[in-house]
Amino acid sequence: MVRLVARTAAGGALPQTIGGLTLAEHLPEAITAVMPFDGQEGAVSDDMGMPFPAPGRTSEADGALAIWAGRHLALVLGAPPRSSHGAISDQSDAWAVFDLTGPGGAEALARLCPVDTRAAQFPPGHTARSLLGHVHASITRLKDDRLRIMVPRSMAHTAIHDLTRAMGHALRSQSAG
Amino acid sequence: MGYNALRLLKEGLTGNKGWQPVWRDPAPKDAYDIVIIGGGGHGLATAYYLAREHGLRNVAVLEKGYLGGGNVGRNTTIVRANYAMPGNSEFYSHSLKLWEGLERELNYNVMHSQRGLIDLFHSDDQRDAYVRGGNAMINQGDDAVLLDRDEVRDRLPYLDFDNARFPIHGALLHPRGGTARHDAVAWGYARAADRRGVDLIQQCEVTGIDVEGGKVQGVTTTRGVIRARKVAIVTAGRSGQVAAMAGLRLPVESHVLQAFVTEGLKPIIDHVVIFGMGHFYISQSDKGGLVFGGDLDGYASYAQRGNLPTAEHVMEAAMALMPVVGQARVLRSWGGIMDMTPDGSPIIDRTGIEGLYLDCGWCYGGFKATPASGFALAHLLATDRPHDTAARFRLDRFRDGVGLMDEEGTGAQHKLH
Amino acid sequence: MRLTCPLCGERDLREFSYTGDAVLCERPAPEAGPEAWDAYLHLRENPAGVARDLWHHGAGCSAWLVVTRDTVTHAVIAVALADAP
Repeated sequence: MVRLVARTAAGGALPQTIGGLTLAEHLPEAITAVMPFDGQEGAVSDDMGMPFPAPGRTSEADGALAIWAGRHLALVLGAPPRSSHGAISDQSDAWAVFDLTGPGGAEALARLCPVDTRAAQFPPGHTARSLLGHVHASITRLKDDRLRIMVPRSMAHTAIHDLTRAMGHALRSQSAG
Repeated sequence: MGYNALRLLKEGLTGNKGWQPVWRDPAPKDAYDIVIIGGGGHGLATAYYLAREHGLRNVAVLEKGYLGGGNVGRNTTIVRANYAMPGNSEFYSHSLKLWEGLERELNYNVMHSQRGLIDLFHSDDQRDAYVRGGNAMINQGDDAVLLDRDEVRDRLPYLDFDNARFPIHGALLHPRGGTARHDAVAWGYARAADRRGVDLIQQCEVTGIDVEGGKVQGVTTTRGVIRARKVAIVTAGRSGQVAAMAGLRLPVESHVLQAFVTEGLKPIIDHVVIFGMGHFYISQSDKGGLVFGGDLDGYASYAQRGNLPTAEHVMEAAMALMPVVGQARVLRSWGGIMDMTPDGSPIIDRTGIEGLYLDCGWCYGGFKATPASGFALAHLLATDRPHDTAARFRLDRFRDGVGLMDEEGTGAQHKLH
Repeated sequence: MRLTCPLCGERDLREFSYTGDAVLCERPAPEAGPEAWDAYLHLRENPAGVARDLWHHGAGCSAWLVVTRDTVTHAVIAVALADAP
């Protein structure tokens, strides 16, 4: 019998450290899309055990992170939630998830993303759907020095290429400055 | 008055005081047989062909600004006849033939340069589509040559042939395609129309179209009321506003198309080159500037300037196709306002109002269409029958869905063409 | 030109795509007849000045937006969710 080997989205291309920044792959237990039915956000929140995140925000409970990911849509990273008040779908293998850790992550991202992700504008708990180069992406600040970046899995290596290049550029302009 | 090197030298040495205006500046008369609204390329060409082909000289062209101040001076100067669909095919073929005799006919140097237009393809599917397009051009009596990769490389060695995403498989060459000096086309037609007795009236903005009992009576302008038996609206870029004066609503949405020019460089690009992946086209002007453009910005606009994302996209396409242009500095960019129709093809037709005619909806095709548009509209104005080459440019084709000419097959949305 | 999405805040133009005049929100009944459908699909006021048009925040929250803006100056006057009451 053929033995299938599961490969992650980054497939061993990560982690990479450039200057003080590290790009690493994050592998959540599951990624689940939650879309509450009309007017059911409250009931879904009860089922999730945390508030359904407001636009541009995250919420957290028991190690699971809910990231607002568009209109009436949240992605839950962690144990899959259950609810009969919304449409729930497993998207675990649909996304590549990266954490960019270290000082100056926002400066590197500024080369790719048209949203200001510096901590003053975009503190921990804030999230944005936007672009990473030409790729649709979800960008979340987890901590002062950690950003979480999600792209469709098929774009994982494009994103790694773009991000590591941007990290290099940020490093060079830092040392030049 | 002739233009020659000796004359240039003499005038240059005597302070250029001897040049005389080459067309009159008449005051508007009370009435004309035909009034043309819009003194751009198409309006001036219409006036010229009315006089030359039909002997109609009691004609006025009304221009709110100065002659040739609109889209005829805001394009990328490309002249081609590479359309595939019946309607467009015969029309642009006729236009190119008129271009080829234009300088002699007008005795005016419009710098028409048939340097060849090269449409690149990047996949087998695209090759098939271009072969089909080339066959349609040949069937129309025009010229098309299929080039393989090496033949393209011979002509355009500076392209990035090994681009992993957009490898160049070959091209369709349209040898009679090329460019012309855009302003000179307006000036040449203006001088020739003026000499045949047409009144070219500048600084004369039409503020109303007078209609009584379903029949046009004339126009109201900033220089008074002018009566006319027939009125033609030839104001692409502003067609909707002018047509609204007669209570018409058009199948047109106005969009901005950006163009760019670099500083002058030594000759490098000998043809008009069109990228088949990502909308990008480039040629080199006789002054040396690289003139290039891309796609519409994609939203309704009259601003005559675009936004950064489209400019960036055009530059990215340029770099993907010919990295060598990365060394050139962009000097200027500007925007022209396109009358976009739901099928990407133009309108030359009567309206529901007797004596009111429409020439609009040129999308990106306006500059190269200038001679044939003027020719066909003059024919329609003079005879009340459409010219054979423009018979399919009906206004009502959108309502009944018959005879749509959607070259790209992108559907009934104005911005998609 | 930047648009302020009611959900995402002020964003770069490249995140949005334009579809056409907001008349597209008022689809006629299927049996409304060819004149009504011609007006809906093809004919446009095409104002040089204040216009209302339909945009999609495709690279953001995916909401459909009605944008009120000036087509001559590119000034953005208002942005609202297309299905807002």
